[in-house]
Amino acid sequence: MTIQTPNGFSLDTSGKRIVVDPVTRIEGHMRCEVNVDSNNVIRNAVSTGTMWRGLEVILKGRDPRDAWAFVERICGVCTGCHALTSVRAVEDALDIRIPNNAFLIREIMAKVLQWHDHVVHFYHLHALDWVNPVNALKADPKATSQLQQMVGPDHPNSSPGYFRDVQNRLKKFVESGQLGIFKNGYWDNPAYKLPPEADLMAVTHYLEALDFQKEIVKVHTIFGGKNPHPNYMVGGVPCAINMDGNMAAGAPLNMERLNFVKLKLQEAFAFSKNVYVPDVIAIASFYKGWLYGGGLSGLNVMDYGDYEAVQGRKETDRLPGGVILNGKWDEVHPIDPRDPEQVQEFVTHSWYSYGDGNADKGLHPWDGVTQPKYELGPNAKGTRTDIREIDESAKYSWIKAPRWKGNAVEVGPLARYILAYAHGVDYVKGQVDDSLGRFNALAGTSLTPQQALPTTIGRTLARALEAHYCAQMMLDDFDHLIANIKAGDSSTANVEKWDPATWPKEAKGVGTVAAPRGGLGHWIKIKDGRIENYQCVVPTTWNGGPRDPKGNIGAFEASLMNTPMERPEEPVEILRTLHSFDPCLACSTHVIAPDGAEMARVTVR
Amino acid sequence: MTSIDPASLHTAPPALPATIDGEPVGRVSAVYVYEAPVRLWHWTNAAAISVLALTGYLIGQPLPTLSGEASQHYVMGTIRFLHFSAGYIFAVGFLFRIYWAFVGNHHARQLFILPFWSRAYWRGLFEEARWYFFLEAKPKKYVGHNPLAQFAMFWAIGVGSVFMIVTGFALYSEGAGPGSWQDHLFGWVIPLLGGSLDVHTWHRLGMWAILLFIIVHVYAAIREDIMSRQSIVSTMVSGVRTFKDDDPD
Amino acid sequence: MAGLETFYEVMRRQGITRRSFLKYCSLTAAALGLGPEFVPQIAHAMETKPRTPVLWLHGLECTCCSESFIRSAHPLAKDVVLSMISLDYDDTLMASAGHQAEAILQEVMEKYKGNYILAVEGNPPLNEDGMYCIIGGKPFLDQLRMVAKDAKAVISWGSCASHGCVQAARPNPTRATPVHEVITDKPIIKVPGCPPIAEVMTGVITYMLTFDRMPELDRQGRPKMFYSQRIHDKCYRRPHFDAGQFVESFDDEGARKGYCLYKVGCKGPTTYNACSTVRWNEGTSFPIQAGHGCIGCSEDGFWDKGSWYARLTDLHGVGFGIESTADRVGLGAAAAVGGAVALHAAVSALKRAQHKHGNGSNGSSHTGDAA
Repeated sequence: MTIQTPNGFSLDTSGKRIVVDPVTRIEGHMRCEVNVDSNNVIRNAVSTGTMWRGLEVILKGRDPRDAWAFVERICGVCTGCHALTSVRAVEDALDIRIPNNAFLIREIMAKVLQWHDHVVHFYHLHALDWVNPVNALKADPKATSQLQQMVGPDHPNSSPGYFRDVQNRLKKFVESGQLGIFKNGYWDNPAYKLPPEADLMAVTHYLEALDFQKEIVKVHTIFGGKNPHPNYMVGGVPCAINMDGNMAAGAPLNMERLNFVKLKLQEAFAFSKNVYVPDVIAIASFYKGWLYGGGLSGLNVMDYGDYEAVQGRKETDRLPGGVILNGKWDEVHPIDPRDPEQVQEFVTHSWYSYGDGNADKGLHPWDGVTQPKYELGPNAKGTRTDIREIDESAKYSWIKAPRWKGNAVEVGPLARYILAYAHGVDYVKGQVDDSLGRFNALAGTSLTPQQALPTTIGRTLARALEAHYCAQMMLDDFDHLIANIKAGDSSTANVEKWDPATWPKEAKGVGTVAAPRGGLGHWIKIKDGRIENYQCVVPTTWNGGPRDPKGNIGAFEASLMNTPMERPEEPVEILRTLHSFDPCLACSTHVIAPDGAEMARVTVR
Repeated sequence: MTSIDPASLHTAPPALPATIDGEPVGRVSAVYVYEAPVRLWHWTNAAAISVLALTGYLIGQPLPTLSGEASQHYVMGTIRFLHFSAGYIFAVGFLFRIYWAFVGNHHARQLFILPFWSRAYWRGLFEEARWYFFLEAKPKKYVGHNPLAQFAMFWAIGVGSVFMIVTGFALYSEGAGPGSWQDHLFGWVIPLLGGSLDVHTWHRLGMWAILLFIIVHVYAAIREDIMSRQSIVSTMVSGVRTFKDDDPD
Repeated sequence: MAGLETFYEVMRRQGITRRSFLKYCSLTAAALGLGPEFVPQIAHAMETKPRTPVLWLHGLECTCCSESFIRSAHPLAKDVVLSMISLDYDDTLMASAGHQAEAILQEVMEKYKGNYILAVEGNPPLNEDGMYCIIGGKPFLDQLRMVAKDAKAVISWGSCASHGCVQAARPNPTRATPVHEVITDKPIIKVPGCPPIAEVMTGVITYMLTFDRMPELDRQGRPKMFYSQRIHDKCYRRPHFDAGQFVESFDDEGARKGYCLYKVGCKGPTTYNACSTVRWNEGTSFPIQAGHGCIGCSEDGFWDKGSWYARLTDLHGVGFGIESTADRVGLGAAAAVGGAVALHAAVSALKRAQHKHGNGSNGSSHTGDAA
């Protein structure tokens, strides 16, 4: 049976059904089901969020100043971005303007997170979809060294001896038969296309990145006390500045602390410049023919915009927001998170209820309702506690379906880069054109940004470019911070409205952040000093949400469409494209037999 | 303050002095109720509770910050020292008071006994409550505590002290550390009540409960001294209960 | 074959010299608070003991524990994963998915029956038949019970597994339940914190592997070596507490001088953790040093004990309304009782006056003027 979706996808559910539950190397728990045709091409895709924790329910009645810590625990991978969104929402509701130092420190923290999250995502969650560590054993260390010096000439760790050492370690590891986390990978699947030298280089950088990711987060530790889950505060930042006053040695921020921060920022800049971005371009060039996975990104993308160059002036966003519809890059629609007609969430296909008669209604987050209602559709296979196959015509996910003016959109670094490119942001245009030039040179292709970006590879490239842009911006922010302190401003918190007695009886606000996985928004309503309603619309909700009442499919589902699979029982391509979004749900995907009781088994009907 | 006119002692006694539980309760009688150790404990305890409540309050709601080097001051340290010292005095005194309940006279046991199964006790308590609600014209006469007072005393000072000592030493054991005798004896309280912060909260609520009792206790003692038929306040000084009339009950 | 190799063999095989190996042993000893006399013992243990498989499951959680784990600096996360344990299953990091991943789970459970460690991050929800957390179409609870059955010991990573954490905060809509309440027949080590400190996580694992025994646990099932003292007990700002020098509000003079954060709600005095000693991210800092009070994230139910910024806890847990603290309740009650006493005294005086004028004196309510 073929269904034509309003947003232009043709779903065919007649082919064999493959269930992947849970999907590994993501945050959270997620399930994916696809139908493939006789040529093993995906013709229908179903994305199911398989966990719900009820934070929005828990937040009701709490002190708005405490909310950041609750919502921060939505995710420990993109740690801090929910906290930042929360304090922004509360400050928006109460009309609190934070000191410039606090603004800059928060900006640095947000960009450090962006950088860290992107690096860990690429090397530790995503790389194994492209890189085959077993194949790296066949590499010639000398050739690997040459490859390294060609793609990342400024990286110091590039000698043949260095790669030989890593290869030896890897060899002994593999020969031990104890592959640990690499065990039972799809290492003989023809979907892996890298030459051994590129595999060795990437595996080496997997280990380097694992070592370095723990360094960059120290910036969070200095400003926020710990990582994961650094501390935030309504009204500013808790880390007071004392450069040379009495007892500066015990102060949260002094010369030594700022020097520490600066060193880590510089190291991060070097790593993304010399390792991360070159790796992505090099790896991509070997997958030049694999331009699948674009899905919605070629049509509709959205972001709220972030990284103001001047505090409080949204128009100076260094990654400006907006919405692009139907692939028209020359027309960017403005976005207003406060407009009740723009951002709305639907629960027709989600395990929630809006009450009788409102089944197909869209609710703006300020009026949002989070009332769980778990039920399987009539065509689901299995039982309520042993789902073999989802019925996507009914409710099928713990994720709601957000829409912008009724349109399904994709969010994330790729969406932001398409928007920035369309807005004509010089830095981004330069990055995209330069990296595409390098890609085309390596691959012998002549792809344009419009062709290359809306793909799985483009999504992964945009993330790398964004990480490096963030490294550049956070160094700029650091310079501004120093200049500001030098000019005599050492204020870090505005506590005028700290006491709830100074608040209006009722208030509502919204906070948005360019989170690592896309545009993130929190909507808060405050009444009598307490939270009356709190709703988060997170990036993975936009991307991974189910269908809406009109039948539009979301970004995850759209991205899998029409992708050929080498071996349907080995979901390498599904994982590759899903991972390119960096899904943030909470767990892993196994593959389930439609008939078998055992989870995590792929069976093809 | 004495509640008896010395002149009355010289008037002729009635033929048969009234008694309660075999003890004379007439105007000329003077019953030795509170033995010296009990009185000493009462006033020591009062002093300890005063120090504990004041310092305890300040531990939860500290005084305004002092400027200068940390080494110049020891305000919180001193407050906590006083609290812990008074706590030890309070606890040791309470242990002694338990001992005295065994070796002292039968009035010394009242603090620890609630005659739950005694019909007469509850009737007496009910009558006393009616007296406090101005529904009785004349209160009963008692040598020891009246039933209502015994009820309040049992809960606030008997049970209340145990609660404060147990929670207090449980909190103290956190500083004394695992393996300390405080930890062995009282450390189990911390997880039982849900964690250190909860024990702090309960301990503070206990303080407030005892303070409420003290307000009522002081008021009732003075009022009874004026309006009841026996001496109250002076008794805790001299130990001797005197009576204002010769009626038997 | 898997599990039969020793630490030492693996480390040597991976190009680590004997010298580095011994240095690692002494670092391990230091990290565990053991004297140099323990170094040969650690070295011996690592030379002779096979690597223990670890199966790491995820329930309702935020993955902050895994993220913290990979921040470990000594030992490095890569060395733990590649050389010290056999992390055979961890769906956040493992390459395989689906059938291949599940095969590992089954293989390890059979081959190492009774000899593998189960590490749990997150917790199972019990409401809606457990379907608030679905793995492989089934409740996470099923997977947890299945893998726990033949485990040697269970490690409850973080506050979710140990206590319930944020999803179990009032009203706990999913009935998220800590591991020890559903797995009752296995030794469980709780390593609370949101997340726990990286080096505490790897320290607990290294201790178990090195000494081949459970770390000594306190009453609440936490390793004493990291959780026997409050943050306050070893806080570098403690002298300011004793002196009575406090941050009165954020970014005030005291905040810039590093005064004690007690008055702005620091939960260090009631929180058992190693933050002020081990510190975070290779000893870089910890929340109090960065100017924010401790929020008590390693304490049971810390979400429901009042604001991060209040010294005294909310009392809704003990039946009072939100926004009441012991002092509010106490002062309110004292005012009420005081008022009642005053009223009572007034009425008493009135009654007494009436009585005197009404029926003269019969001594029933007299002081010494009976004569």
